[in-house]
Amino acid sequence: MSLLRRGLFFVTVGVACFFFAFPVLWLGLTSLRPQSGVYYVHRGTEFTLGNFAHVLRDERIVQAFVNSALISTLATLLSLMVTVTSGYMLSRFRGVLSRAWFGTIYVFRCVPYISWVLPLYFVTQAWGVYDSYPGLLLPHIAVHICFFSWLMKGFFDAIDPSMEHAALLDGCTRWGAFLRVALPAAVPAIAALSVLCWLFTWNEFLFALILTGQRTPVITVVMAQFVHEMGIEWHLMSATAILALVPAFILTLFGQKYVIRGLRI
Amino acid sequence: MLLLITPAAAILLLFQVVPIVIGANASFRDWTLYDPKKTWVGLAHYGAVLTDRAFLTIVLPNTFVFMAVSVGASLVLGLALALLLNRPFRGQKVVQTILLMPLMVAPVIAAIMLRWMFNDQFGIVNVVLEGLGFEGQPWMAQRWTAFSVIVLTDVWLWTPWFTLLLLAGLQSLPREPFEAAAIDGAGRWNTFRFVTVPLLRSIIVVCAVIRAIDAFRTFDIVWTLTGGGPGRSTELFSLYAYVYAFLNLDFGKGSAAAMIGAAIILVVGLGLFRALDRLVEVSR
Repeated sequence: MSLLRRGLFFVTVGVACFFFAFPVLWLGLTSLRPQSGVYYVHRGTEFTLGNFAHVLRDERIVQAFVNSALISTLATLLSLMVTVTSGYMLSRFRGVLSRAWFGTIYVFRCVPYISWVLPLYFVTQAWGVYDSYPGLLLPHIAVHICFFSWLMKGFFDAIDPSMEHAALLDGCTRWGAFLRVALPAAVPAIAALSVLCWLFTWNEFLFALILTGQRTPVITVVMAQFVHEMGIEWHLMSATAILALVPAFILTLFGQKYVIRGLRI
Repeated sequence: MLLLITPAAAILLLFQVVPIVIGANASFRDWTLYDPKKTWVGLAHYGAVLTDRAFLTIVLPNTFVFMAVSVGASLVLGLALALLLNRPFRGQKVVQTILLMPLMVAPVIAAIMLRWMFNDQFGIVNVVLEGLGFEGQPWMAQRWTAFSVIVLTDVWLWTPWFTLLLLAGLQSLPREPFEAAAIDGAGRWNTFRFVTVPLLRSIIVVCAVIRAIDAFRTFDIVWTLTGGGPGRSTELFSLYAYVYAFLNLDFGKGSAAAMIGAAIILVVGLGLFRALDRLVEVSR
């Protein structure tokens, strides 16, 4: 009985791992096949790294990688700067303003992206930031404000405020208490949010699709264009997709423990 | 105190509130990209969307079926995997890393992978089916098979998200109730039903509601997998609004559709939260 149960357990684990790993492995295998063998991925024994070389020679794709990396990094830094303070305010201050702000971000969290990204197209054009870094960066920060302020509030709620009170008694200013006492205590949570924020921005599609054009290609949009314009070049598409997975993979590998620790609070 | 939220509030105002106001304004106007006279037409666009057969008989049912099936399946699967990972066994860390893999995959990439696997001529799914003696399906050319692939992609993408949050929740539960249940001789199922689920209640409700709201606005995987096709049979709400505004270049009608969607999800989200909360409350 116990043996049967153990067997069943490992079969379940095996099936689950297969389900979640197979699509990625299959994509990886496809990316290593030469063009002549790509339609019979399961049969050939011929492998090549040529697809990756081909993709990396394409200026537009390289440009898209650079843009995505820069925008994700900047969006992470700026989003955290504004949401850490906003979450701290929500956690430590009571009153009308605090409640109004919480209500605002709660409601705006629910508004579907499409409802504000459609007019945002005109807004960014009118302000002359369409298809540029700020034109994509600032809306991304706006996306993160609601959710991350909410999460940051939770993190600060879990940190005991008595240390800050002690700092205030010892002559620290309110800002000093925030910067020297509360902020260092929130570092694990900030690390977790940085990882999530970078991944969200790197993987985001709808905003990039609508708010960028020829001048500022980003990687998700370039890949989707592959599907629609060059739907047959599966070997190049898989190579691009695998390359786009690498930074996210590395970040997740190193960041995993921060995320799990940070979210457990 | 005001200073702490000023930057966040300013960005929110400029890049979310202002666009929503402009969108709301546009939804009352005859605003097309090729003829920007912007005549006021009142509620005409709202009427047009709400009486559009495609919207009522395809887009709305699609969106709600997608939301219910996808969130339901990922919640059940995610909870099962979280329970599986919550006890130590050899290789637990490796399994955990593999199961959480989809978290780092962009929805666009996931859609590309599944599209390739379900390709009717060269996809591995049809190759395996034919190898087993079944007939291969033209997955992306039929409404319900294409829709199922979209749901499958979404479940694949978001189950790990549930697993991660529920696992974090499980690991922070107190030990005493489980010990008490064991002493009282409760079986596995009863322990799960009467101890684990009630203790995880709030996490389950919050995760499910957040995911349901996000599922309602799903865009990227549909766009990449089917583009709404075959025909318009797999269009979800976000795609419907996008198609009107950017492909048909009718910005007024697209905005009206987007506003209607926003109104629906605000009501549904709130109702869902109440209903789920009560459901779990009753069950304990």
